[in-house]
Amino acid sequence: MLRYLLRRLFQSIFVLIGITLFVSFTIRLSGDPAVAMFQGASAPTAEQLATIRKQLGTDRPFLVQYGAFLAGLVHGDLGTSFRSGQAVSSAVASRFPATLALALTSLLLSLALAIPLGVIAARRRGSGSDLAIRVFSLLGLSFPNFWLGIMLILIFAVKLRWLPPSGYSGPDSLVLPALTLGLILASTTTRLVRSSLLDVLGEQYVTTARSKGIGEQRVLYRHALRTALIPIVTYIGLQFGALLGGVVIVEQVFAWPGLGSLALNAISFRDYPTLQGTITVLAIFIAAINLVVDLSYALLDPRIRYA
Amino acid sequence: MKKRILALVAAAILGFAFAQPSGTLTIAQAQDPQSWDPIDTFYLAWGMIGSSIFDGLVHRDLNMKIGPGLATSWEWTDASNSRLRFHLRQGVTFQDGEPFNADAVKFTFDRLLGPEGAKGPQQANYTSIDHVEVVDPYTVDFVMKSPDPVLITKLAGYGAMIVPPKYVTDNPPETFNKMPIGTGPFKVTEYVPDDHLTLVANPDYWGGAPKVAKVIFRFIPEPSTRVAELQAGRADIVQGVPISLADSVSKTAGVKLEAVGSPTVNALRFNTCLAPTDNLKVREAIAHAVDAQGIIDSILQGYGIPIASFQSSMSLGYDPNLKPYSYDLELAKKLLQEAGVAAGAPISIDVIGTDATNLEVAQAVASELEAVGLKPTLGTHETNTYYNDLVPKNTVGNLYYSGWGGWTLDFDNTAYLLYHTGQFWNPCYSNAKLDALLEEERATYDQAKRETILQQIAGIEHDDLIDLPLYQSKNLWGVADRVQGFVAPADDRNDLTNVSVTN
Amino acid sequence: MKRALTNPSFLLGAGIVLLVVAAAVFAPALAPHQPTAANLRARLAAPFQPAYLLGADAIGRDILSRIIFGARISLVVGVASVAIAAVIGTIIGLLAGYFGGVLDAVLMRLADIQLAFPFILLAITVIAVIGPGLWKLILVMAFAQWVQYARIVRGQVLSIRETDYVQAAASLGAGHARIVVRHILLNALTPVTVLATLGIANNILLEAGLTFLGLGVDPTIPSWGGMLADGRNYIERAWWVSTFPGLAITVTVLGFNLLGDWLRDTLDPRLQT
Repeated sequence: MLRYLLRRLFQSIFVLIGITLFVSFTIRLSGDPAVAMFQGASAPTAEQLATIRKQLGTDRPFLVQYGAFLAGLVHGDLGTSFRSGQAVSSAVASRFPATLALALTSLLLSLALAIPLGVIAARRRGSGSDLAIRVFSLLGLSFPNFWLGIMLILIFAVKLRWLPPSGYSGPDSLVLPALTLGLILASTTTRLVRSSLLDVLGEQYVTTARSKGIGEQRVLYRHALRTALIPIVTYIGLQFGALLGGVVIVEQVFAWPGLGSLALNAISFRDYPTLQGTITVLAIFIAAINLVVDLSYALLDPRIRYA
Repeated sequence: MKKRILALVAAAILGFAFAQPSGTLTIAQAQDPQSWDPIDTFYLAWGMIGSSIFDGLVHRDLNMKIGPGLATSWEWTDASNSRLRFHLRQGVTFQDGEPFNADAVKFTFDRLLGPEGAKGPQQANYTSIDHVEVVDPYTVDFVMKSPDPVLITKLAGYGAMIVPPKYVTDNPPETFNKMPIGTGPFKVTEYVPDDHLTLVANPDYWGGAPKVAKVIFRFIPEPSTRVAELQAGRADIVQGVPISLADSVSKTAGVKLEAVGSPTVNALRFNTCLAPTDNLKVREAIAHAVDAQGIIDSILQGYGIPIASFQSSMSLGYDPNLKPYSYDLELAKKLLQEAGVAAGAPISIDVIGTDATNLEVAQAVASELEAVGLKPTLGTHETNTYYNDLVPKNTVGNLYYSGWGGWTLDFDNTAYLLYHTGQFWNPCYSNAKLDALLEEERATYDQAKRETILQQIAGIEHDDLIDLPLYQSKNLWGVADRVQGFVAPADDRNDLTNVSVTN
Repeated sequence: MKRALTNPSFLLGAGIVLLVVAAAVFAPALAPHQPTAANLRARLAAPFQPAYLLGADAIGRDILSRIIFGARISLVVGVASVAIAAVIGTIIGLLAGYFGGVLDAVLMRLADIQLAFPFILLAITVIAVIGPGLWKLILVMAFAQWVQYARIVRGQVLSIRETDYVQAAASLGAGHARIVVRHILLNALTPVTVLATLGIANNILLEAGLTFLGLGVDPTIPSWGGMLADGRNYIERAWWVSTFPGLAITVTVLGFNLLGDWLRDTLDPRLQT
């Protein structure tokens, strides 16, 4: 178990270096932050640009800049934002809770919808309710998230006035953005629960359990569902990066001050340190989720042990 | 008698109570400028809020008239206009209690013109000032390096806002970025980046306490969400209502739409180094092919003003006699034929991809060019790449979108930066006569003479078709009925001192 | 095949996809108007009238014609991005799974890097460098999505590699290439096909998301995602501007998903219960 953890940790470091290297390199190709500071206001002179580049440290060779970033990272220092002058680590820390709340709520919401619906669909395969659930889940896959978000705002905030349209002001402000992401995620997850459960229900040991006279409910919940959750949990782990990608757009629609909007602004300002810092933290987060996912297999399936 | 005294006392108490700032005003705007230091800024989004926190030596009111600000009067001390003397307002304090005086003015401009200012974009606007000298605690002299006819206007906003020396010196730079302090009518109490900024009334404001006790600026990038906040009754004022949503706003009960002519003109600039738009005849053909009035009437729903040069009607240098090119398809086709441009010749248009209205206008233009036989393609770009890479390097297409105005309301700002040879945003066009006129206009304080020269420049711009001005835009604001006294600012710089809210 | 023709999922899915393909192929013949021709006087013309069956958009273009031509763009975006991603992913997955060792470790860490990078942020960063455009968009999607295919194929290869018939083929002296292609690739194709069908739907939606962020294709080119994103401000005022392209996306996505479902149910023997 410990060896496994160490190996995973080592792999994560490799992944982290790969990602930060890619981000740092790409964003430096995309434009000069010194020039970006003048956007539309006044025209910079060459000397001015040189002064600012020196100040920001962007005049140094790429590998030197990247080395400095890594050196800082080891000490938990993500550098200083080119734009606001604030420490990137504190900016990321203040935005992280908003994104985490949104991501986890939508995840839980999607599971709360997907597991019961998937179970019903699987148990009554071919019935009317199965069909209805499958159509629901297909519909959820055919709306772009920004569109769903705007529709939810128009219905629940403007027409019904039940919930605030946007902002990060309390539990009620979380409902619409979480619903936007959660409904879309629930569609895929429902399909997965259904098919995965159908898989398991056809397997040997379930049949054995049934033949031993164990009640259908007990078979379903104690044995089948637990095993069926493995591919679902894997899927969620793998999709977490995609989920956080969706968060970027949803944060934009709902003016949600999370890491997505931080990263979007960082790209438009060519704020290298902020973008590097945000992506690094997101990557660590995603890697951590995947580690938890892998470890949770042992809980779900007693047959799995870590060598 | 007793009754009358009682009534007077009651009235006094009521009057006093009434004078107290009260209520909360919530304003939703698109962008968070991320740093509140005046020397760092280049965004209108900063000006919308900065004008409530800070004051300049001079003040420009909502009618765009210049008047006294932190300086009560000013005059040149010599005939050669090398020294401009400002007499400062006395008894003014910054929001943290620090006194405002000549030292604060000197500190502000030393900082703007020194190494600290060199880090930001504002310094370049004030390089005509050599330095500031303290004459006595309430008198300062601006010693000029070169003539600057737009100086007084520039002292009314942005980089020239007076900052508190002690607060700025005693704290690390990020503190001032995040919690700015000025002499203005409102004081910052809370800032959550990309979420909101909270201001409270400064009861000691030298211009009189504001009527509203608290103003919350919320930052909401998506326009339909911003408007939803207004419709849901959670925002009182919404900036940047897109034309596509103007109808939805004006049809909402309890809300009205306010349109104000802005200094910004939307134009398509010509790439005069790229065939076929290097040919004046082709540029003329395109000018005649585009139905600007039709675009204003339909796409802009009338929220636009026809314009013949790249400046608004408020700008010094505007010539009301200059008329836009006529919409004449036959003439356009004929000109294209004369220029030897074959049917189906490709023509590239580049625009910024995030502004829905500009995209619609650009698509309409593309369709109109198609109607005269050209084959237009439209490229959409990210704002930063566009202004900082494509335009300066002249890797843009034949026509490229530009929205330009300048809050100084003086054609110099646009014309010099966009037409003078070798300027950052003018990598291509060069005209010796125009260069000479631009230099001449910059060297004199005689505004009447400048106006004539600037009009001449606009004439050259028009005849040589350096660009194709489409319309002067109107800014749309959504305002809830509970708000009183709000005047939509033409230059985006809000004055909220007279705004009040009812519950 | 007989079973397919009675399967409602297949019939409906295939029917929709065929319809969309037909619209794309015969667009010039089917569309009543030029999809790019603006008519400022017909701005936001209401639907269900002879001149504009599905109404007109904000610059007076016929929505029906744009939807018909839009089928081309949406199909190209969806199919091409998925095809590129699937081919690259399959090759990488095959190599990693079959040869294992260092190659496998390196390729799979590359995959991890991709997975830990939120797609939208990747897309914005890359587009900021290479600029926008239809094919660049397709490449960015492919670049971000090869991983899903690589991982699935690798998993398949690992499970098939040890099976008796592959072992038997190897002991009979079959070369690597022959084993990979004949015995492994054909088996691994099933899950790839299923994933690809679902991926096409997903990428049609992604194009809409990128347009929403201002990173879409040339807006004069009719694409459903672009129409939907452009129409979002007119929802209250002129519902047809975004509703019809939205319906086109929904129906098409539904079609591909139904087909994908059917493929999975048919090709995956474990589901034959």
